Amino acid sequence: MWGPNEGSLVKRLLGVALGVLTAIGGFVDIGDLVTNAVVGSRFGLSLVWVVAIGVLGIILFANMSGRVAAVSGRATFEVIRERLGPRAGLANLSASFLINLMTVTAEIGGIALSLQLASSVYYLLWIPVAALAVWLVIWRVRFSIMENVTGLLGLTLIIFAVALFLLKPDWGSLAGQLTPAVPQQETVWTYSYYAIALFGAAMTPYEVFFFSSGAVEEGWTAKDLGQSRINVLVGFPLGGLLSVSIAACAAVVLLPAGISVTSLSQVVLPVAEGAGKLGLAFVLVGMAAATFGAALETTLSSGYTLAQFFGWSWGKFRRPAEAARFHLSMIVCLLVGIAVLATGVDPVLVTEYSVVFSAIALPLTYLPILIVANDPQYMREHVNGSAVNVLGMVYLVIILLASIAAIPLMIATGAGS
Amino acid sequence: MLNTPALNPAPQSRTPAAGRLTPPSLAALACLSLALLTGCSGGTSQSVSTAVKDSSSAVATARIALRQDMDGKLTRAAASTSLDDELKEIQTSRSTVLKLSPSTQEDRDTQKQALDVLDQCAAGFTTARAALAGNDGGTPSLPDGDKALADAQDALKQLEDNVGSQ
Repeated sequence: MWGPNEGSLVKRLLGVALGVLTAIGGFVDIGDLVTNAVVGSRFGLSLVWVVAIGVLGIILFANMSGRVAAVSGRATFEVIRERLGPRAGLANLSASFLINLMTVTAEIGGIALSLQLASSVYYLLWIPVAALAVWLVIWRVRFSIMENVTGLLGLTLIIFAVALFLLKPDWGSLAGQLTPAVPQQETVWTYSYYAIALFGAAMTPYEVFFFSSGAVEEGWTAKDLGQSRINVLVGFPLGGLLSVSIAACAAVVLLPAGISVTSLSQVVLPVAEGAGKLGLAFVLVGMAAATFGAALETTLSSGYTLAQFFGWSWGKFRRPAEAARFHLSMIVCLLVGIAVLATGVDPVLVTEYSVVFSAIALPLTYLPILIVANDPQYMREHVNGSAVNVLGMVYLVIILLASIAAIPLMIATGAGS
Repeated sequence: MLNTPALNPAPQSRTPAAGRLTPPSLAALACLSLALLTGCSGGTSQSVSTAVKDSSSAVATARIALRQDMDGKLTRAAASTSLDDELKEIQTSRSTVLKLSPSTQEDRDTQKQALDVLDQCAAGFTTARAALAGNDGGTPSLPDGDKALADAQDALKQLEDNVGSQ
């Protein structure tokens, strides 16, 4: 029998493990799935360094954002709006909300495409079903259950790493691809364009807003900072490794066959090659869970940012009737997503554009977070340390460069084609 | 405070200052960008080359999906979705080539050649999809579908070499 202290320790350890596992499972979304597969099939592993930079960046800013929420008891966006005023808040809102909306659309499309792969029923028929399921979960299911179930089911994407081993690649040649270099059949411009896309996919703005609003939903305080740090510091790098294994699978199977990824059905082929039908089942569950989880997060993020800017009552911890405008705005976002997809636009194309536009909007998202995390009025003794600030400034320069270069590169490369 | 207005804000000029973008200059910039974009799209051989590259990728994907189905590694639903997706790629490439307006005899020949090969690819996909849908021991069989796609792949390779040598 455990004593009360041991029981509490075990409970705490289980909580940490669950947090880390859901952080890994929840790391990959449609943007990561598509962009990593495209990059792996065209550039091999020569852009892995971008994933590393992106993961370090999201760790830095998600941790900052979670700390702001835990210490101030308020979501980051709410604090930004108050601290920097309505104009800065509006610039932040416009950029992040539009990207969120694109990402919601892409994620719903991703759920539908995953279900098409499992059933062969045309994806357009799955779109209303997917959107309805997202709305129902947001409306009815508790925040922690929603987050844990999708995060844990998303863990089945580890099959990409398993499949990579089962494919028995030439590890030496694969490791040789890790050197940053432009492949012969590509140009330095397409290489740079996809570097920015990969960076945008890793640092999508909705992740930090969801992370901080989620901290308020779950009632974090300064005491929870340790667990939050572990979730981010362990979960996100492992999630990053998952992204790299998606690219590696594509590099092993698709690149030698001259295949450039343009659809989700191509992403699963390396897994089926290495792990057969069982692997396929795992990857389909993982893709549906990852896109569904991300659809929940992006829809909620849209509601969070709007409600926090306009000062509406928000949060799943409130009954929907007590946060009516928050819930209504999410319903409108889902309807917009359905309407866009109903035009027949390719969800993979929406995804590719959404990650690049994410990169463009990054400075508007991350600069305010850096400012707020340094304000002792909100953060008291938990303001950023000097090392974090130096790293934050370095990242702001990278983010700014990526943001400035994104549109010219998009035009020059015909969106990477 | 970052949200505090400047104490003595500069008076806003209502006349278009040098270096400021006015509506006409914005329109000119938009036209220039559009011209740049259309100019970047390249000639017939470049468009055909891109279409051939995309189609080769589509046919190679379909062949892997079909082989995995024959090896029992892929479900029928995933295999047929894959073939449908790749057939769409072929149709997009064909439509791109069809819309070209070649100005020289050489370009017209290239366009005609490309359309013939892309039609062969579409026919290969028809055979492969029929094989996948039937798969009851009748014809076409899955190996017939693979053979049709392999022939299309060879034709694409030949076209790629021809376009590349121009």
